[in-house]
Amino acid sequence: MKIAKYPFAILVAALFTVALTTPISSFTNIIWLSSMNLPINFFSSLEIILFDFQRLGTLLYGIIIIEFVIAFSLVGLIQKYVPETKYLYPIAGAIITGLTLFLLVEFSTQTEVLAGNRTILGKFLHCLAGFAGGYLFNILISRERKISFVIRTLGIIYAYLILGLVLNWIFTPISAASDFGFIFNELNSSAQNALLRDFTSFFVATFLFSIIGVITLNSAWFFSAGIIYVGAGIFNLIAIYAHGTDYNQIFIGEFLLGSFPIALGLITSYQKKKAEV
Amino acid sequence: MTVILSFFAIGETKIKSFLLSLIFFVNLIFANYQFKTIASDLDDAWSFDFLNENQIIFTEQPGKVKIITISSGEIVEVEGAPKVQYASQGGLSEIVLDPNFKKNNVLYLTYSALNERGKSTLFLMSAELSNNALINKKIIFEAKAFRRVPIHMGAKIDFLSDGTLLLTSGDGFDHKEKAQSLDNHFGKIIRINKDGSVPNDNPFVGNNNVLPEIFTYGHRNMQGLVVMDDGRIFEHEHGPRGGDEFNLIEPGKNYGWPAITYGIDYSGAVISPFTKMDGMEQPLKYWVPSIAPSDMIYYDGDLYPELKDSFLITALVSRDVKKIKKTNTLITEESIFSSLNSRLRSIGVSPSGELYLLTDGRRGKLLKVLSTKE
Repeated sequence: MKIAKYPFAILVAALFTVALTTPISSFTNIIWLSSMNLPINFFSSLEIILFDFQRLGTLLYGIIIIEFVIAFSLVGLIQKYVPETKYLYPIAGAIITGLTLFLLVEFSTQTEVLAGNRTILGKFLHCLAGFAGGYLFNILISRERKISFVIRTLGIIYAYLILGLVLNWIFTPISAASDFGFIFNELNSSAQNALLRDFTSFFVATFLFSIIGVITLNSAWFFSAGIIYVGAGIFNLIAIYAHGTDYNQIFIGEFLLGSFPIALGLITSYQKKKAEV
Repeated sequence: MTVILSFFAIGETKIKSFLLSLIFFVNLIFANYQFKTIASDLDDAWSFDFLNENQIIFTEQPGKVKIITISSGEIVEVEGAPKVQYASQGGLSEIVLDPNFKKNNVLYLTYSALNERGKSTLFLMSAELSNNALINKKIIFEAKAFRRVPIHMGAKIDFLSDGTLLLTSGDGFDHKEKAQSLDNHFGKIIRINKDGSVPNDNPFVGNNNVLPEIFTYGHRNMQGLVVMDDGRIFEHEHGPRGGDEFNLIEPGKNYGWPAITYGIDYSGAVISPFTKMDGMEQPLKYWVPSIAPSDMIYYDGDLYPELKDSFLITALVSRDVKKIKKTNTLITEESIFSSLNSRLRSIGVSPSGELYLLTDGRRGKLLKVLSTKE
């Protein structure tokens, strides 16, 4: 577990940072919409925040994982030459977050893609979130964790990713369908109905399986989620090669989404057998 | 046999409408378009207009105005093009001939450039074309829409029958919220006289808190503008991720961006949870996912009967032209010219009714659509 704790800590710290950074953009938006006297209430605010978590949050999660890997690896090297302090990782987290946002604007989009990063206060809050992420990382690597804690945390991260798809299909089905290559409005009513109910139940089911797996640590729930996605990947390939449908590379994502819970299920099962022996 | 018998069973008017429908249907099925390349290796060509049946004047975003002779393919550069800020989406954009061009040789150009204080914004210039040079150049409008980089400029022009001029001024991306404020030109359609003065009957004239040039507001990046013979104005605009819009424009109205939208941000974030709101106009049609509409004409010629009385919208992302038919109650859409598989930047009609297309990018092409008769 000594080696595994670093990637685990990165994944958790990055998720924590996402949880802090995403609402900065959401609230920036909510404040402006309210200032325009638009009917923003608790539920519409919640809808914005949840939607941003699952769409913007997923994008940020990937970016923050990469920036943390780079920054915390450098800190790991530096730590050998400087006195030990618990603030090195937090400072690195803050600097790398600020630097990433700066580079994103200057060398990529030339525009402030993140609404929350347009003001000085927003920039400061993003850096503060990076600081907090680094602080959590430092805590996570400073002591050993039980394997059940690791499995549960990874299960929650997985469920978080699936939750994004669930919320997308529940709140913005047209956009969700568009992501899968469907032009919703061009489907007839029966097809729209089938698309909504099947896809929504598909993602809700796998989300619930992984959450129940996290709670019970029963490997069957992780396997169930994994089988559904691996099955989707297999039948995707059958559709392409046996039935001549268009090539759809989403099967790569399906196999990845299936492999992760299956791996969690295997580890859970192995640990259980080990404990019994 | 049943079809033949049905002729005898129905009235003359019905036979006529049946035959017309049949001709239209056959035309549609067998409309197999061919394209002739008039010019290639154009450098970010953005817009064009017809000097006459054999000569096209066009802009290239780096800041060049050129004239191509269709019959020979010869291209000459026009001297005196304005100095532009060619970056991001900006540069030399629209070129439109004055409705009285044959008499006055005046044309209009839009472009992004730095103003005297070094700020980037949208400019509208009038100039006379004389011996392949632009003379008597006048900046007739400078948008109060200053931005860091020239992005979401809008920059389309068309003329109203009263001689005034409409100009689209985009939201500048980072300034999208300002499309809802009336003290700036972000996300606005502007109406001015040809000398840059403000017409007295503009919708906000007399309101001290509003810039008097503003005709409509709440727009994003409008790159299609058509004024019909009956005075109706149609516009289309790029949405973010989804939410491209086709709108009927009426003076003084608010088209909602970014308070209402059918799209989401490029980052995946919500822009607004609302798609409708009192006091804000709904699009006649919207696209999710985006097609990235880049130009529009209304085709009323006879050379392509299957396209007659349709809006033709070039698209960058869907790489085709959307043929939009609008009746009082229905809007139909059909994809045409998709065999080109090119990002299409602009579309135009020659004086005799021939269609021309401009493809996007550093190695763009000017194409003539051969009519189905050819």
